[in-house]
Amino acid sequence: MKGTFSWKWAVLALSVAALVATGCAKKQTVKSEGTQGDTGAASAPSVGEAPVKEAPPVRPPSDQLASSAQAGVAVTEEKPSQFDDVRFDFDKSELTEDGRRTSQAVADYMKKNPKAKLLVEGHCDERGTAEYNLALGERRATAVMTYLVSLGVPKGALSTVSFGKEKPLDPGHGEGAWAKNRRAHFVLK
Amino acid sequence: MKRSICATAGAFLLALSLFPSTAFPVLYIDINAPGGKRMPIAVADVALGRGDPSLSRGIPKILSDDLALTDLFDLVPPTAHMETVTGAHFSGRPLSFPGWKMIGAEAVVIGLADVRGDRLSLEMRLYDATQGTLLLGKRYTGTPDQLRSIVHRFANEIVYTFTGVRGVFGTEIAFTARSGKSRGKELYIVGMDGQDLRKVTDNRSFNLFPRWSPDGQWLAYTSFRTGTPAVYLRNVSTGAEKEVVRTGGSKAPGGFSPDGVWLYAGVSQAGNSDIYRVRVVGGASEKVVEGWGLDVSPAPSPDGRRIAFVSDRGGSPQIYVKTIGVAGETRISTGAGYATSPSWSPAGDRIAYTSRSGGRFLVATVAPDGSGSREVASATDGDCEDPSFSPDGRSLVYTFRKRGYSALKIISLDGRRQRTLVSGLEDAGSPAWSPGR
Repeated sequence: MKGTFSWKWAVLALSVAALVATGCAKKQTVKSEGTQGDTGAASAPSVGEAPVKEAPPVRPPSDQLASSAQAGVAVTEEKPSQFDDVRFDFDKSELTEDGRRTSQAVADYMKKNPKAKLLVEGHCDERGTAEYNLALGERRATAVMTYLVSLGVPKGALSTVSFGKEKPLDPGHGEGAWAKNRRAHFVLK
Repeated sequence: MKRSICATAGAFLLALSLFPSTAFPVLYIDINAPGGKRMPIAVADVALGRGDPSLSRGIPKILSDDLALTDLFDLVPPTAHMETVTGAHFSGRPLSFPGWKMIGAEAVVIGLADVRGDRLSLEMRLYDATQGTLLLGKRYTGTPDQLRSIVHRFANEIVYTFTGVRGVFGTEIAFTARSGKSRGKELYIVGMDGQDLRKVTDNRSFNLFPRWSPDGQWLAYTSFRTGTPAVYLRNVSTGAEKEVVRTGGSKAPGGFSPDGVWLYAGVSQAGNSDIYRVRVVGGASEKVVEGWGLDVSPAPSPDGRRIAFVSDRGGSPQIYVKTIGVAGETRISTGAGYATSPSWSPAGDRIAYTSRSGGRFLVATVAPDGSGSREVASATDGDCEDPSFSPDGRSLVYTFRKRGYSALKIISLDGRRQRTLVSGLEDAGSPAWSPGR
């Protein structure tokens, strides 16, 4: 190994260092030991280290907490709807024939009620990564909105939001529940 | 940072040079040798000036629990210890090293604590029992409620002394779980040792995707608390918040650039998610990746030059790597029909991700060029998802799900050691390991 030569030098260097350090080693005072062990807080000549700074956790202002809580309560609740959900296949955002039929009923209502405003929620089943599902839910909601517009609903009457996998209609863990949870849900505002 | 590492290495070499030269390699643990030799270490009861007598055992307990979380040490049980450490051992009286060697210890840790009102001082020393030499000595001062974090720091120094890689004790994991009757999701933080679990948000909406800033002071996350999603930055210590991404539909932060200047996020416009980055100060944003597919989960590389992200442009979600500012992207996941949630190793040599295989989700790693894919965590009866690297690159935290049950687990990169970090919370997920301390 070509290491032999350099090892000799390393050992020599270390021996020199050892000689230099022997004085400290014999007299094991706190100060000398600390210098050896110090990881280099520049201003610490002896043992020891800058005081550990850790600010105690501070609660957010209570008014912020209260107002956000009030706004938040409704977000997590399933909002009642007079329309059926539009359902989707796994990892898909194309409308099925059923989905188009359901959307047609929604479009008919919206055209008869020109003042109505409709929120289209996109949802996913629990499988897969939350971020991807959030984007997938948005794409589902947008696909439904686009179809409604193609049926003559003014775009200004429609908006979308995705809840990804966060708000399942059925909290179960099988294909039955998953099929119900891959959906667009309509909420009249 | 570099400088202090050099200084440490220098001090380490100097300490080593106190051994006879033949003993040079004695006390070193090779962390890359599977099933390598563990260091037998004794953590003596701490000598006490003033203060609660329970500290005498309490401090070694914190330290021993830390060391036991690694696969680097064998702890010599306190019942075997024969020498009582006193203040005199800190002012010149030598330890009886033959006695410590006799009970199997190759390294000994001693400590001297003193609590005066709200002032805590703690001196800790690490000795090589085989040579009778001091390897490491530190004196800490702080307040009594900083005790745990001080001991974690010394534990990190011990690991550094023996391995050359700093330990991760005292780091934390942020994650999400359902809370209360509202079935909302809140952010939580837990210590990497499973201690000090706390709820960070409490607004009963959906709070998702926590991502640490490089200084560990801030969490970026998505909240629905106003009814529609927005990305916020939250100061972990003070709770102060600011909104950073409001426009667009769905939005999820992926990670910060290593200099903390940019926050990368997936943001939907007209139903199509692209990758943006937003200036943390000032809020200016630019598009980094666009295309017809859903592009989400941007993870910046440790050198800040590249991002890994998820795109379904090829028909199913897969991992791609892109050099910032350069056209084109390389797909690095292969085979499986579903690959998501990339996380870079701190050294930049591996990317951990979630893969779907045979209807199950599992955690794998792959090199950034797509070579050398390896499975790390899987279960025959459940799903393993959402990996996040530890700051030392030796472990991953991930989500385990089995029907209604969920837990966060930590696994060593070679898959040999794993433990449950958090269980008992509903729908725990999206874990993110904080930067090193």
